[in-house]
Amino acid sequence: MFPFAPYVIKSLWRHRARTILTVSGTAVALLVFCFIGSVQKGLLALTEDQQADRTLIVFQENRFCPQSSKLPQDYATTISKLSGVTEVVPMKVFTNNCRASLDSIVFQGISAEQLRVCRDLTLLSGDWSAFEKQDDAALIGQAVAGRRKLVTGDKFTIGDVSVVVQGIFESAVAAEDNLVFTHLDFLQRTRGVNEYGTVTQLEVHLADNADPEAVGAKIDAEFHSGPVATTTRTKGMFQADTVADLAELIGFVHWLGYACVGLVLSLVATTTVMAVQDRIKEHAVLQTLGVRPLGVFRLVIAESLLLSVIGGMIGVVGSMLFLSSTGLSVAAEGVTIAFRPSWDLAVQGILIAVVVGLVAGIAPGWQAAQSQIVNALKQG
Amino acid sequence: MSLVEVNNVTKEYANGEETIRPLDGVSLTIERGDFVSLMGASGSGKSTLLNLIAGIDLATSGEIIIADTDITRLSRGKLADWRAANIGYIFQTHNLIPVLTAYENVELPLVLLPMTAAERRKRVQIALEAVDLTSRASHYPRQMSGGQEQRVGIARAIVANPTIVVADEPTGSLDDETTEQILELLSRVNQELGMTLLMVTHDADAGARARRRIRLERGRLIENGQETSTRTLRTA
Ligand SMILES: Nc1ncnc2c1ncn2[C@@H]1O[C@H](COP(=O)(O)OP(=O)(O)OP(=O)(O)O)[C@@H](O)[C@H]1O
Ligand SMILES: [Mg+2]
Repeated sequence: MFPFAPYVIKSLWRHRARTILTVSGTAVALLVFCFIGSVQKGLLALTEDQQADRTLIVFQENRFCPQSSKLPQDYATTISKLSGVTEVVPMKVFTNNCRASLDSIVFQGISAEQLRVCRDLTLLSGDWSAFEKQDDAALIGQAVAGRRKLVTGDKFTIGDVSVVVQGIFESAVAAEDNLVFTHLDFLQRTRGVNEYGTVTQLEVHLADNADPEAVGAKIDAEFHSGPVATTTRTKGMFQADTVADLAELIGFVHWLGYACVGLVLSLVATTTVMAVQDRIKEHAVLQTLGVRPLGVFRLVIAESLLLSVIGGMIGVVGSMLFLSSTGLSVAAEGVTIAFRPSWDLAVQGILIAVVVGLVAGIAPGWQAAQSQIVNALKQG
Repeated sequence: MSLVEVNNVTKEYANGEETIRPLDGVSLTIERGDFVSLMGASGSGKSTLLNLIAGIDLATSGEIIIADTDITRLSRGKLADWRAANIGYIFQTHNLIPVLTAYENVELPLVLLPMTAAERRKRVQIALEAVDLTSRASHYPRQMSGGQEQRVGIARAIVANPTIVVADEPTGSLDDETTEQILELLSRVNQELGMTLLMVTHDADAGARARRRIRLERGRLIENGQETSTRTLRTA
């Protein structure tokens, strides 16, 4: 069919208004599809990465917002003595917005040594020693930096917390690109209230042979009758519980993704049906010249495929550019879901465009191929 | 053996209760290199017969053998391949593809045949020269007059050097002067290029151009006042 490429392209161009509308509709739908996909992947990443089920989070019992969970920091000492525990990271979490928000800033106060060991960060600018030496220094994730247009050396204030940016990092975990790391004691002392000695949560790292559930139960039993009771879950479960409301919403939104695919299908199919009806006679002329019925079918499929794939490419590329340039995320109660572009999402988008293009062309293509030449030639 | 042998062909259309039979046991032979005109009243079945010979319509019964191939036995796909190699069709209204230039329109039938690009270019050039439109090669149908469009249509019909060229009222929508040009061109196609031509026409003058004239009357073929059949022609 390659020699007919100019014919297919020129035919689409003849009705450029219709073609452009269809292509842009397809592009928008695929853009939305990829966006929804990235939200979904961000949610999955919270519960499905390696750390998620090998790390425990100890939180105050029956508390959800990081502001209201207050654990004695010396719990860490007790926990680190339990068998199977390799490291306990006390963390203070502060967020400007506990509710679901697209622009919440989450601070995590961790001691510098533990930050270096327990997080896989790559500094894009600034340096560690400057961060370690300065009390109110912060390392900020690239997504926050992009969103708030921050560079190393900037002062940055949210509510009562004022920090100086001493580095911008990229994390191996996408969600962490939306965090601001500070020193633990800095975040404990800030905001007027002296919360020295209390932390929001304890992150417990386990030995490879430890059973997370058993250790978690042991921790909770340990503090059951202590001053503050705890709830211990794997990091994955903790994050999933925290964003449960959002997750439900995102689960619902994923139907919109399918709706987008349906939209593209009907859009491309409608345009192709119209194109075929416009050209019943032209296809009969082609058949008279010796194009096989199957050849006409392929020409129609080629047109619908081209419409859908061009639109799909624009939509996919657009969504990838949008996602990578905005570094969008949604956070609730200190846990962030990062919307990141990814290759498999792009490939999925293009594949959907290809399949939709093929499917949309089947019915009109079949109709064109089956028409009686003599009758079709009589059409005006 | 003749180039075209139409044997006892009948075409019927079922129209509710009644059956319309535009062709009723028609037989006809056409020799290689001949120029045949087919006339008859409106609705007498001229187009129907032409379309059967061109392989774009199916006979109800009978056989049509062209250059040793019984085309009534071919599948739809095979019939399409056969048309590509053997038929040049000139329509009443040129039926050029509007999005393609004159050159691309003429090239279209060659794209379906096994042929190098260089060979295609050469053939298109020759066909455009034959209809005297080399200067219009890059023009689109809408940029040409009706007569020029019809000449492009003729170039497209002859470019693949088909076994037979059929034309259904090729001058039906042209003025007298252009009609004259087109008929002249068709005569040349027959005489100079040696192509076999079957032309349906309403116009007695146009019909007179042909070397052989046949008429359709009430579903039957009349030649020189006599009904034709394979047998009478063979013994003649
Ligand atoms: N698809 C069809 N269904 C029913 N009847 C048809 C169909 N096509 C053609 N006919 C009938 O077959 C007969 C022959 O038609 P045809 O087109 O061959 O005539 P024609 O000789 O070419 O006429 P004209 O000179 O007007 O073009 C006509 O009576 C026509 O009504
Ligand atoms: Mg007719």
